Amino acid sequence: MVYGRKRLVASAVKNLTAISASHLPKFPPSQATKSPKATNFDAEAWAAIQPPPPSALSAFAHRIGLGAVLTDTDVILQACTHPSAQYLAKQQDPNAPPLATNAHLGVLGNALMGLFATEYVHASYPYLPTRVLKAAVTAHVGPLTCSNVAQEMGAASLLRWHRQPPAPTGSYQAPLQRSDALASIPRSLTALVYQTRSLPSARQFVHSYFLSREVDIRSMIKFVDPKKALKEMVQKFQREPPKSRLLKETGRFSNSPIFVVGIYSGNDQIGEGFGASLRMAEYRAAEDALLRVYLTRTPPEQLQLPTSTFPLGVGDVFRDAPEGMYVPPSLEQAEIMYASGGNSGAVAQSSITA
Amino acid sequence: MLRAQLKSLPANGHGSWLPQIRKLVFEYCNDWPSSANTRTFLQRDLITFARNNPHVEIVVKQRNRKEPIVRGLYVNGRDKVIALNKLEVTGIHKKLELLLDSSGLKIKPLKRRTVESTTEAARGIWSGLHAERPSL
Repeated sequence: MVYGRKRLVASAVKNLTAISASHLPKFPPSQATKSPKATNFDAEAWAAIQPPPPSALSAFAHRIGLGAVLTDTDVILQACTHPSAQYLAKQQDPNAPPLATNAHLGVLGNALMGLFATEYVHASYPYLPTRVLKAAVTAHVGPLTCSNVAQEMGAASLLRWHRQPPAPTGSYQAPLQRSDALASIPRSLTALVYQTRSLPSARQFVHSYFLSREVDIRSMIKFVDPKKALKEMVQKFQREPPKSRLLKETGRFSNSPIFVVGIYSGNDQIGEGFGASLRMAEYRAAEDALLRVYLTRTPPEQLQLPTSTFPLGVGDVFRDAPEGMYVPPSLEQAEIMYASGGNSGAVAQSSITA
Repeated sequence: MLRAQLKSLPANGHGSWLPQIRKLVFEYCNDWPSSANTRTFLQRDLITFARNNPHVEIVVKQRNRKEPIVRGLYVNGRDKVIALNKLEVTGIHKKLELLLDSSGLKIKPLKRRTVESTTEAARGIWSGLHAERPSL
């Protein structure tokens, strides 16, 4: 009986959020000490809208290396305040001025991150199919990654948001999730770096925290018929049609055969694959040949990014100032259209005749 | 492949380094002798320590009639608590170094762990079908 009661108390205490109060102008709030019926005071809601101490915000800025860039703790607080927190602020004091939230910063930062990620992935993998390029960009700077990075930066304790239930209006509105609110923080930080410093600085920020993370692009590429796709690709590169040859085999009629098949274009081997059957080995060989083209990667030291043409230093990015070094690469072969991005195998004839 | 599930894996140290320690909380007693060294540290060395580590939020709490402790809170949500009652001031410095350098993860034995890597083998995995046939 005693243990049950203790467990109940322990679990109830665990769910309470403790906030530091030494920096608050007024603690405890006057409504808390009066009768709850008279004031209708919700301690949880009050605690959720209180700003974190300025030392926590300053420590956060230094932890991410922006101690010299973000010197004003109000700006950092704005970056950590999701627009949904406005609801809580209104609840506490309807007459107070609106809360400074990261709505605009988030939008600007998201656009910048998309720009940097796309140019980086495209410059690194020039032969990557478009839908895979888009998936790679999402993996690098998408909502889940942004929320993970915010967590790793230690912004989870600084976030102010509110899990507002969606209004029961006509169209369905997905409920706000904590990961979406967290994801707004790195986007706002990117926008702040762009505003206080320059576009190349914002690019450096995104490269350090997002584009240096590990993304498995190979798992994003899936094939419907790799042999057919390889035939089209070889035609595009004006090479001899692919021919598969059995290189090695063992255990043909046993319960665990292994076949190694190579695909050749003339005398050059373009792909190799293994399998428990001849067909499987040929399939893998065709896949290997296609992946060797798609996953061709520019060495990092030879990477040329278009945003290098923006001038360094604080100020309008479109002003007249010395540009950075950028050598445009030669345009690569267009991707093969077979089974790419929802298109059927049929060629669109109507566009030519119309 | 759902767009909302696409993510990247962390690589702390590759492009940038994020220190894993977020906050240090010092709790001391104002009167008891077991907190004497802790009080000396807080009065004498804490401000310099805080200036040298701007990435850590430092909180000092008075907790009377209890032994002094320091609690380190980390980015992964865990915390490490170290008792300071039997340490000299230099010992306190060493324990703080330990907390600053820690990742906050649970201590796990490294001797028994097999090598796990996300990058492929540098020399490749040996294959009997690709190796040269041995000749006598």
